[in-house]
Amino acid sequence: MHGHQLCFEDLKTGSALTPLVKRPTTVQLFRFSAVTWNAHRIHFDKPYAGTEGYPDVLVQAHLHGSFLFQAVADWAGPRARVTAFRWQNRGIAIAGDILTCTGTVAKAEGGAVECELEERNQKGDLCASGWARVELPRRG
Amino acid sequence: MSISIPALAEELKPYVGRSERTDLGIMRKETFQRFAISADNLNPIFFEPEAARAAGYSDVVAPPLYLSAVRNWQIGPPQDGLRPDGTTSHEFAFLPLEGLRIMGGGQDLDFHAPVTDGTRVSMELRLDGVELKRGRSGDLLLIKVTQIYRDAADRPLVTCRETFIAR
Repeated sequence: MHGHQLCFEDLKTGSALTPLVKRPTTVQLFRFSAVTWNAHRIHFDKPYAGTEGYPDVLVQAHLHGSFLFQAVADWAGPRARVTAFRWQNRGIAIAGDILTCTGTVAKAEGGAVECELEERNQKGDLCASGWARVELPRRG
Repeated sequence: MSISIPALAEELKPYVGRSERTDLGIMRKETFQRFAISADNLNPIFFEPEAARAAGYSDVVAPPLYLSAVRNWQIGPPQDGLRPDGTTSHEFAFLPLEGLRIMGGGQDLDFHAPVTDGTRVSMELRLDGVELKRGRSGDLLLIKVTQIYRDAADRPLVTCRETFIAR
């Protein structure tokens, strides 16, 4: 879903983001750990993760953040600019979980919108929450 | 492994407000594109110069979370220098955090300018505060830091505020 462009005039408080669905695999988690130089074994070593009480390898905090960020950026379009973003991890996710990122516009003012974001697993449990400020092009 | 968390809280107090700047080197598109691929984010502005220019950038850009997602920009210790869980505290530069388990839980980011291929980046790490929490499951520290990433002309690229839990 790249290329579609939203304009500020398209949005108002309550507008919904296009949901983004991700299903991280063990291969993805390994590669994300490798590229971020993160050797924390809970992300790639299932037997070790078990010793900390986890059922499988965990999705990295920053991968949750990356999913939420992508949800906003893909929805807004390539000429929009996310100028501020925050997220907080609320619950674990493991390889194979289906993670759905959703959001709504909480404020639309002065050519920018503020969005509240959530990422939930297939059971509906909250894995991460977030917020973003997005500057959008004007129509015409 | 007998670290006194309250004693460490006292030890860290003089560091509050102090900062240290580290050169992270030159950003290369192949590296930030690997990050984009590993995050399953195939937005063409990260890969295709024409798409990036059509979106208003001078060239392909790094995913905005890239700089603050890399946990250690240094080479890191050899394997026997890692803790049993695979982590290291080397990313905390000048702070005396050896021996602690440190967990992040999110970040608060401002994006000032994009990172492109060839950008030389430095990172200033500042300790903003240390708070001791005494709970039923033991003592822990809340360590608040700000990381400011800048280019070679000293222009800010990303500001990242983060609170770590250390125990």
